[in-house]
Amino acid sequence: MKRLASVSAVVLLAVALGGCRGGETESDESGIKTDVGVTSEPCPEAVDPNKGCIYLGIISDLTEGPFRALAVPITDAQKAFWKRVNQNGGIGDYEVDVTKYIRDNKYNPQVQNQVYQEIKGSVLALAQTLGSPTTAAILPDMKTSNVIAAPAAWTSAYAFEDVILESGANYCIESMNALDYAKEAYNPKKVMAVHLAGDFGDDAAAGAKIASEALGFEFSAVQTDTGADKQAGAIQAILTQKPDVVILTTGPADAAAIVGTAASRGFTGRFIGTSPTWNPALLRSPAGPALTALYEQSGPWGPWGTDTPGHKAMREALAGTTPSDGATSGWVWSYPVKAALEKAVAAGDLTRAGVAAAAKSLTSVDYEGMLPQGAGNYAAGPNEGAVRSTLISKVDPAAPTGVSVVKDLFEGPTAKAYTLDKPCYEKL
Amino acid sequence: MTAATRAPRGRPLLFTSYAREMSLFPTTTRRVAFGALLAVTAVLPFVLADPELQLLATCCVAAIGAIGLGLVTGYAGQVSLGHAFFLGVGAYTASVVSGDPDGRTLGLGVTNILVWLPAAGIVAGLAGVLVAPLATRLRGLYLAIVTLGLVFIGQHVFNEWSAVTGGVGVGRPAPTLELFGYPLATTGPGYTRDQKLFWLMAALLVVFALAARNLARSRVGRAFTAIRDRDIAAGVIGVDLPRYKTIAFAVSSFYAGCAGALLFTVTGFVDPSSFSLLLSVQYIAMVLIGGAGTISGAIAGAFFITLLPRIIRELQHVLPFISTDANEVPNVLQVESILYGVLIIVFLIFEPRGLFGLWVRARNYWKSWPFSY
Amino acid sequence: MTALVEGLLRGVGVGSGYALLALGFVIIYKATRVISFAQPALMLAGVVLVSHLAEPLGFWLALPLAAPLTALLALGIERGAVRPMVGRPAFVVAIITLGVDVAVRVVVNAFIGLDVRSVHDPWGLSTVQFGPLRVEQRHIAAFVAATLLVAALFAFFRRSRMGLAMRAAADDQEAALAQGVSVGAVFALSWALAGALAAVGGTFAAAGGSFDGTLWLTALVALPVIILGGLDSLPGAVVGGLAVGVAQELAATYQNHAPWLGGNVSVITPYVLMLLVLLVRPYGLFGTREVERV
Repeated sequence: MKRLASVSAVVLLAVALGGCRGGETESDESGIKTDVGVTSEPCPEAVDPNKGCIYLGIISDLTEGPFRALAVPITDAQKAFWKRVNQNGGIGDYEVDVTKYIRDNKYNPQVQNQVYQEIKGSVLALAQTLGSPTTAAILPDMKTSNVIAAPAAWTSAYAFEDVILESGANYCIESMNALDYAKEAYNPKKVMAVHLAGDFGDDAAAGAKIASEALGFEFSAVQTDTGADKQAGAIQAILTQKPDVVILTTGPADAAAIVGTAASRGFTGRFIGTSPTWNPALLRSPAGPALTALYEQSGPWGPWGTDTPGHKAMREALAGTTPSDGATSGWVWSYPVKAALEKAVAAGDLTRAGVAAAAKSLTSVDYEGMLPQGAGNYAAGPNEGAVRSTLISKVDPAAPTGVSVVKDLFEGPTAKAYTLDKPCYEKL
Repeated sequence: MTAATRAPRGRPLLFTSYAREMSLFPTTTRRVAFGALLAVTAVLPFVLADPELQLLATCCVAAIGAIGLGLVTGYAGQVSLGHAFFLGVGAYTASVVSGDPDGRTLGLGVTNILVWLPAAGIVAGLAGVLVAPLATRLRGLYLAIVTLGLVFIGQHVFNEWSAVTGGVGVGRPAPTLELFGYPLATTGPGYTRDQKLFWLMAALLVVFALAARNLARSRVGRAFTAIRDRDIAAGVIGVDLPRYKTIAFAVSSFYAGCAGALLFTVTGFVDPSSFSLLLSVQYIAMVLIGGAGTISGAIAGAFFITLLPRIIRELQHVLPFISTDANEVPNVLQVESILYGVLIIVFLIFEPRGLFGLWVRARNYWKSWPFSY
Repeated sequence: MTALVEGLLRGVGVGSGYALLALGFVIIYKATRVISFAQPALMLAGVVLVSHLAEPLGFWLALPLAAPLTALLALGIERGAVRPMVGRPAFVVAIITLGVDVAVRVVVNAFIGLDVRSVHDPWGLSTVQFGPLRVEQRHIAAFVAATLLVAALFAFFRRSRMGLAMRAAADDQEAALAQGVSVGAVFALSWALAGALAAVGGTFAAAGGSFDGTLWLTALVALPVIILGGLDSLPGAVVGGLAVGVAQELAATYQNHAPWLGGNVSVITPYVLMLLVLLVRPYGLFGTREVERV
């Protein structure tokens, strides 16, 4: 009898509490369909309290990983970008908030997965997801849930993913252009690609390999790990094989260790780094003189001081902060998301599916001059829509971000002739 | 169960038979408490929301690992800072066994949990057996540092062996939760993924915990405590030291391997940089803060440490000067990291028996209330 | 051949830094019978202090200023976290120092901030040419500094009253107490010395490049060094440090011959070396065999 009573008490309790779980609600709002991440209440720091709020998430390398020195300016630039959008009237009846759901991924795919699961239920899309391998970890879920994202990365795989709104040339194309530039500037015979593992480094190394085959250079690839003290293998490989040009695709601290130590042991070849490899603070490190002498930087768009309407707006919005090309990148990456949201609002469908469809159908994005016309053509497919122009900068202590342009946006012959049929890193 | 073997009312600790005293649940209170715990576990997924259930599922898996470490460090007294290594071995064995044969990393395609879970445990256990001969020759701090070296060597192997692990910063998908082709943790018409995940992990925890409790009350468990108290004296009275130390390492690594295999099925992805010294320290913290030398202590410690980041995040609402922004000082991430260290220190200084000790104090207080002793 | 000799010299330079760090561990162990896992945190604190002070004051003033400050921090840790644990088992105290290490490192990381920092050492990556051999100046400086400090330490332990007191306390605490040695002062001084040594060792480890929060992993290499040399042997720490440094650099120089070992074998060489030595001599090269009485 006692047992029956206790069992029935437990069951009743369970039934009573079962209602606590709650579920997901759909809401219609002035004719625009919404599902996740859009509310009719104003944003926490709303400019216009009558507008609703679209929540975008940011997952970035804010504390521990190799790119945190860039990630923080990227995030700040994005906050400034969306603040400017809100000040100019928002998007339709909504303003955009990117401050409430910021998470740190520590450049670790697992942590990325974890924090993504945490914020997934509250955001419409991701304003930033930093890192190629980390984004790869959440890509399957993003595809099934129709969560679009602006990546803080440039791997060639993104051209094949509809949910990723990449901007600028990918690492593969960047390396090809870098080697085209190297051919006319240095005419090397031997090329080495020193790279981190994963979609980031492998992609650039694959581009270097493809270009080397096309241009007739001897090619070798050396994989390395992040960490300034973990570069002994790469340095030794450079010193024994003595390439003429090294394509460097690592974090900034690693690059400083490699270039500085190799130079101090007598290496005189050239280094060309892909865009995330540079950090102006490296100029003040002991590797500074070596970097100034031997290092050049390729990149998808002009650095901080470039004269375009977009750059100017960015400099105004970020006045008073330390110039950083992380900020430039963060600013540029936000344009496609804005375009997608605007198109979705115009179509009256701010559900995840609606935004994803809008993003897929974009034929051009207004980058305010920061990228050439015709960029942002996601509807055209990976090969036609890929941006193939990059630029080369040299180290310049006088410039605001430590680099100044040597060769402005150009499309190298190798990249022009290359057909992007699958992600480059699969060809490494 | 005759009347003669049941304890008289009001005297639950009066045992009249050895079998009764050594059984898994010696007193009625224990049996009732265990039953209540099972009932709560069964009901919990109807009460909590999915993110919390996912967190609790992770807690259950961490508890399995903590029990393993508790067996070797708490019961047998062999300090092992190398738990992260065995977790990694287990995780990668399971991932390889259940991995996609066409993927970027090595995979055998056997997704049945009844295959990869024991496989992970057995391979990790074998690794433990390999380490044991070195461990049995050393004691105390030498052993601690050697196991530390094991973590670093393990990390190097995991980082470099990209065919299995994918490489640092890339990682690979975690094992798939399937039983004979039937998916165990996918959102279905009745229950969501996280509900099923929690039930699965809680069930596994109960199984592993009962097995560990059983081991602790057996001859092997008694040998462990003898070794912990005074290993030379234990050798003198006839406890075969190398054999039992090897068993301790093997069992602890088995548990670690199973925990490692399950740990990453929650997020679905595993990166080699996870198996660092920090992970080992986390598990040591679980055992020490929970209470070394008891199974329930290890479980309590595991839950506490795994819930800590979440607790701090909630704390942030109460203490607004801790910001969520990683740039400002102090922020939640720093508080979380400092709190590990501070908690270890505080517990070891003030309550060396950990959370279990706190529970014992509370229980004794109420037992003799309103008297003070 | 040049590569071999250059590798050896580099190893001696790097090993000098490890030897300094290991000496700190051993001094604490000899006095208190405790392994202090807080050394990496102290090293990081010392290096960050040098890095901050070197900007206004220059390197040569910053280092002698940072070392005593780190010693003070070590003293504070000893008084606050370790002194209440007198009498507890050594393992428990070691874990407490681990907790201290985690806590202090978080605080120090806040001072490092986002960017990599530098100790502004005067040598940087510049090298000196001895015939066909190219030797980095910072390695020479590390070796010279380590030699001076080790000589000073040995003189201190042999000649001074306090050194004698420390040796007595390391031998037998009760007897030393009975003879009027202030064992508390010995504890405090040993931690202070360890803190100062950690600061200097860390500075040389960080010289020639930029460092960030992950520098603490370098201090962990001192653990295989002390195991190798013997937990309670000062000469063992020095010999062990040099041996580990040389092994590491030679592994780095020749790892290209065995690429299947992975790209960064030199990182784990100290630990492998430690395991190999322990298989043969369970108490390290110069450690005293522990006698346990039941």
